[in-house]
Amino acid sequence: MSISRKVDSDKGVVIISIEGRFDFSEHRPFRDTYRDIAPGSMRFMVDLSRADYLDSSALGMLLLLREHAGTDAGRVTIRGCTEDVRRILRIANFDRLFTLE
Amino acid sequence: MNDGLTAAPGNRGLALVVDDESANRLVLATMLRREGFQVMEAANGEQALERFGETRPDIIFMDVMMPGMGGLEATRQLKILSDTDFVPIIFLTALHDDQSLVRCIESGGDDFLSKPFSFNVLKSRIVAMERVRDLHRHIAAKSRMLAGLLEIDRQEQMLAERIFSHAVNDRNVAADHLGILMRPASTFNGDVLLSQHLPDGSLRVLLGDFTGHGLSAAIGALPVADAFHTMTRKGVIDEVVLEEINRKLYRLLPADRFMCAFMATFSVTGDELRWWNGGMPDGWLCQADGVHPMTSHALPLGILPELSHGDAPRRRVLRKGDRVLLVTDGLMDAQDVAGRIFGQAGWPALIAGWRREHSLLGPLLASLDAHCADTDQQDDIGAVEIPLTGEIFGGADLGFNRSTPTGGACSVLLRDGRLAQPPSMAQLLDMLGLAQALADHLNILETIFHELYTNALDHGILRLPSWMKATADGFSAYYMERECRLAAGPVGSIRVDICHEPGPPGTIRISITDSGLGFDHDKPCEPLGASVKPWGRGIALVRELCESVNYYNQGTQVEAVYRCV
Repeated sequence: MSISRKVDSDKGVVIISIEGRFDFSEHRPFRDTYRDIAPGSMRFMVDLSRADYLDSSALGMLLLLREHAGTDAGRVTIRGCTEDVRRILRIANFDRLFTLE
Repeated sequence: MNDGLTAAPGNRGLALVVDDESANRLVLATMLRREGFQVMEAANGEQALERFGETRPDIIFMDVMMPGMGGLEATRQLKILSDTDFVPIIFLTALHDDQSLVRCIESGGDDFLSKPFSFNVLKSRIVAMERVRDLHRHIAAKSRMLAGLLEIDRQEQMLAERIFSHAVNDRNVAADHLGILMRPASTFNGDVLLSQHLPDGSLRVLLGDFTGHGLSAAIGALPVADAFHTMTRKGVIDEVVLEEINRKLYRLLPADRFMCAFMATFSVTGDELRWWNGGMPDGWLCQADGVHPMTSHALPLGILPELSHGDAPRRRVLRKGDRVLLVTDGLMDAQDVAGRIFGQAGWPALIAGWRREHSLLGPLLASLDAHCADTDQQDDIGAVEIPLTGEIFGGADLGFNRSTPTGGACSVLLRDGRLAQPPSMAQLLDMLGLAQALADHLNILETIFHELYTNALDHGILRLPSWMKATADGFSAYYMERECRLAAGPVGSIRVDICHEPGPPGTIRISITDSGLGFDHDKPCEPLGASVKPWGRGIALVRELCESVNYYNQGTQVEAVYRCV
C-alpha cells in the first residue's frame, strides 16, 4: 500500500492517491499529504481507484481531511471508488459530506 | 597504549577473579584495578558462588581447573543465579584443545582466552563484553518498564471494563429475551448494545459501533448509554434521543471518531417498529412474507453538529412473531483463512433461508464459527435478535414518575397529520378516570395544556417565529402561515404525558415533548400585567397558573406541575 500526492497549484487542487488497503496504518502518511497545506486554501481530490479496502478509521481520516479543507460542498472530492469502497461510503452516507465522482 | 580502553579508577564496576593460584589472581587484579575496576577474589568455585551471593559483580574472570568446584560447574551455577541479569564470564584457561574451549562456552561462559595471553587482547575482550552487557542492561531496563506499563494498561482496561459493564450493561432490560452475540476484539468493546423500556412498556434497542476498537473506541459509550437510558425511561421520542446522543458525541469526540448506530423502538402494542440506521449494515426484519432489509439512511452519530431533518426514523408494521436482527460490520467483515468476508460467504444464504418461526442466532453462530476457524478476530463482532413476543416489553409503568407508585399516568403520541388534532384535557383526564374528581380544575388544566401544546406545535414542529405576531398584519400572517404549514402536512411528533399524583392536594404533571426544535424558553418573559406585546403571553400565563414550569433538552420538552387546590 502507498499514499502519494500531487499538488496542482494552478488549479488549486491537491490530488491524494491511495493504493491498497486504506486503514489506520495509513493515518500518518495520509495526514502528511495535507498538513503543510494551509487550512481552507486548496481543494482536495482523493483518488481511491487503486484502493481495494477501506475501514471505519479511514472514514475518520476522510473527516479530518474535510475539517482541514473546509466543510463547504466541493472542497473534498472522492473519485474512482471500487464497488466495495463505494458500498462502505454509501452505508455511512458519506455521499452527503463529500462529492463522489 | 590504547587510551580508548582505559577509564578512571573504580567506575567500571566490580570484577570477580576466580583462580586457585594467588599469583595469577594478583597479576590480573592489579591490571584490572589499573583499568578502573574494583576487584574481589575467589580461589575456587564454592568461594566464587559465595562472593557472588554477597555482592553481585559486573564481570567475572574464571579459571577452569581448580581444586573443589571447577570453573565449568561454577559457571553453570552462576548463570542460574544471575537469572535474567547478564553478568559476563570470561574463561582464562591453560587448556588449548578445541574440545575444552567448546565446553567453556557450553557451560555458559561468554568468552575465553588461552593462557598465556596479552593484556591488550584481554582489555579489548573486556570492552567488547561490556558493550554486550550494557546493551543487555539497556534492553532489560526497557522491557521492565514496558512490562510495568503493560500491567498498568491491563489494570486500567479491567477497571474501564468494569465501569463500562456496570454503567452500560447493568441498566439494560429484557436481555434474557433478546438473542445477543457480543465478541470484543480486545478487552474493551467498541460495540455497544443498549436496551430500555419506555414508560408505557415499549422496548427501545440501540446497537452502536464506535470507530476502531478498544478503550479509545469505547470512551464515548458512557455518555451515549447515559442519555439513552435516562431519556428512554422518561419516554422521550426517538428523534430527540438521537439528537441528544449526536450532540454529545459531536462535542466530545475528535473529528475522526464517530458512532454508527441502529436504533429500533418496538411499540408496546406490538404492531409498530420505528427504526433508524446511521451507517450500520442492513438490519433485517423477518416477517411471514419474507425478510426485509433496513438499510442505512442517515449519517453516523457525532459527525455533524445537528442531525439532518430528512433522517427521521422509518416505520414498519409488525405482527406478533416477527423477528428483527441487527448486526455490526465486524460480523459482516469477519474473514476466513482465505481472506473472504462473512458478508459475502455464509451470510447471504443464512438471511435468504431465514423464516420467522426460528431464531437465526444459533445457525448464525455455527456458520460464523466455521467461517472464522483458524483465524484471529480483527474487529468487535456484535449481533442482536429481537423476537416480537410479549416478554420483551415492560409492564406499563403506571406511575409515570417513579416517586408516585399510587398515581395514574397516560401517554398520547401524535404524529404528522394527527398533530393538528390533539386530544382535549377532558379526554386525557377521562383516560385516567379523573374527569369527575377534577371537574373543578378542568378549565384551568385545559388552558395550561393548550398553551404548552400550541407552543410545541407552532415553534417546535412548524417552526413559526413568535415575533411575527408583533404587528396586527404580522399576527394574521402568522396564523395564515400556520394554516398553510398544517395543511402541507407537518412532519414530526408530539408526545403528551399526563401524570396524576394523589393528594391532598393532588398534583397533575403535564409533560410535552416535541420531535422538532423545541421552544426558545430562554427569552425573557415579561410579567403578564406589564406586557403590551401581542405575543409571548402563553408561557407567562402558564407560569402563573402552575406551581412550576420547566423546559428540558433545548426546549423540546416541557413539564408543568399543577396543584389541585
